[in-house]
Amino acid sequence: MSQSLRPYLQAVRSSLTAALTISNFASQTSERHNCPEVEANSSPEILLNPLHISRNENEKVLIEPSYNSVRLSIRIKQADEIEHILVHKFTRFLTQRAESFFILRRKPVEGYDISFLITNFHTEKMLTHKLIDFVIEFMEEVDKEISEMKLFLNARARFVAESFLTPFD
Amino acid sequence: MLLLDYQNALIQSLLTERFSGATPVSIDQVVSDFDGVTFHLSTPESKTKILISINVKCYKELVQYGAQEVLEREYGPYIVSPEPGYDFSVQIDLENLPAEEEARNDLIMKLALLKRNAMAAPFERAFDEFNKLAEEASRYTSESAPQGIKEGGEVMAIHYREEEAIYIKANWDRVTVIFSTVFREETDRIFGKVFLQEFVDARRRVLTLQNAPQVLFRNDPPLELAGVPGLSATEGEVSYVTFVLFPRHLTPQRRYENISHIQTFRDYFHYHIKASKAYIHTRMRKRTADFLQVLNRARPENEERERKTASGRTFRVQA
Repeated sequence: MSQSLRPYLQAVRSSLTAALTISNFASQTSERHNCPEVEANSSPEILLNPLHISRNENEKVLIEPSYNSVRLSIRIKQADEIEHILVHKFTRFLTQRAESFFILRRKPVEGYDISFLITNFHTEKMLTHKLIDFVIEFMEEVDKEISEMKLFLNARARFVAESFLTPFD
Repeated sequence: MLLLDYQNALIQSLLTERFSGATPVSIDQVVSDFDGVTFHLSTPESKTKILISINVKCYKELVQYGAQEVLEREYGPYIVSPEPGYDFSVQIDLENLPAEEEARNDLIMKLALLKRNAMAAPFERAFDEFNKLAEEASRYTSESAPQGIKEGGEVMAIHYREEEAIYIKANWDRVTVIFSTVFREETDRIFGKVFLQEFVDARRRVLTLQNAPQVLFRNDPPLELAGVPGLSATEGEVSYVTFVLFPRHLTPQRRYENISHIQTFRDYFHYHIKASKAYIHTRMRKRTADFLQVLNRARPENEERERKTASGRTFRVQA
């Protein structure tokens, strides 16, 4: 793990732990409704201050806490066109499977690549510290995966080009 | 399976089976090949007479560049008048095959290479033109050369697909082959760029490839194509890939192989883009499964198991 990645992930971990102190909260506006307030946005008193954690301009996390839910958005590093398309493909692949990921949001928040929405129902049914572990591991692995895919693509392209040109000799 | 074969595998296997002396059966099969080429194998008269027809989108252009002569040279005695709906037909009589095994295999191969031979005509013409121009040019020094020789021959355009074409131009010191290729998707375009960049760099990087043709690519028509009609007619992302074949690629010993090989470029290139996409897809699938596993660790295993006493009795809630 590189020197700047560790404090970045540590900051995300602590902030997320702090933000995930959420509890059940019924809707104030409509009776017998109970929805994630960070999404419903019905009243400013239930929302808490959003928090940005940036490693650099291309890699940042936005944590938006509220009384009964937390929204976490990640911007994944994209250094060039290839990484951009790989990140796009990968996040699309994940969001299409949002159903089995429980906390994954189908659409990322604008300006970010992937968003998670954790509600009090999730923290009640699942272990909160393990959820945080998942988010941290996701952030670590996704960078690794993208760069590995990029390396693979370059290696394959090189090999393919050389194989095509060899018979001309 | 890295490089594509030049011949059509289905025709090859079908004819090998027929030629092996099996009892003649009637055939009626449509075979597709790259670039929208279709073949029709049938036995219209009797079971022993196999008719092979080919349909190429750009046959008119190919004829213009001498395809008829090339095909007559290759398939002389077998040619029959083209089947309706197809461009060119050959007929093989199973009772009248060459006696030797080797000659029979050669014939099968020749027939399986029907598409390659049809497409080879403009290349052959360009190579011949190169020889002529080179001979003429050798009589002049570079200062005294009249204009016509420096400019090189005409650009031959083969619109072998809906939106894509091959342009071939002979010069006195080289033959330029330009592929125009369209990328349907953003992903293809970016992957294509990575691949093409490697084609360009391969020659510089690898010592053993010093003799390979020079490859160039750009997104606007190269200068060689100035004045060729119908270039910007297609909308979207068009890339132009230029192969510069040098005299050592154009020698009589090398030309047959090189014509076959360069024809496969477009399909080879797109095939590997698709293959990389497929690989990346399986990789993402695996990675997603890993993530799911990590997430599932967060779910406590609190399923109440049935508790038993030592003697095997179970507890039951009184109703």
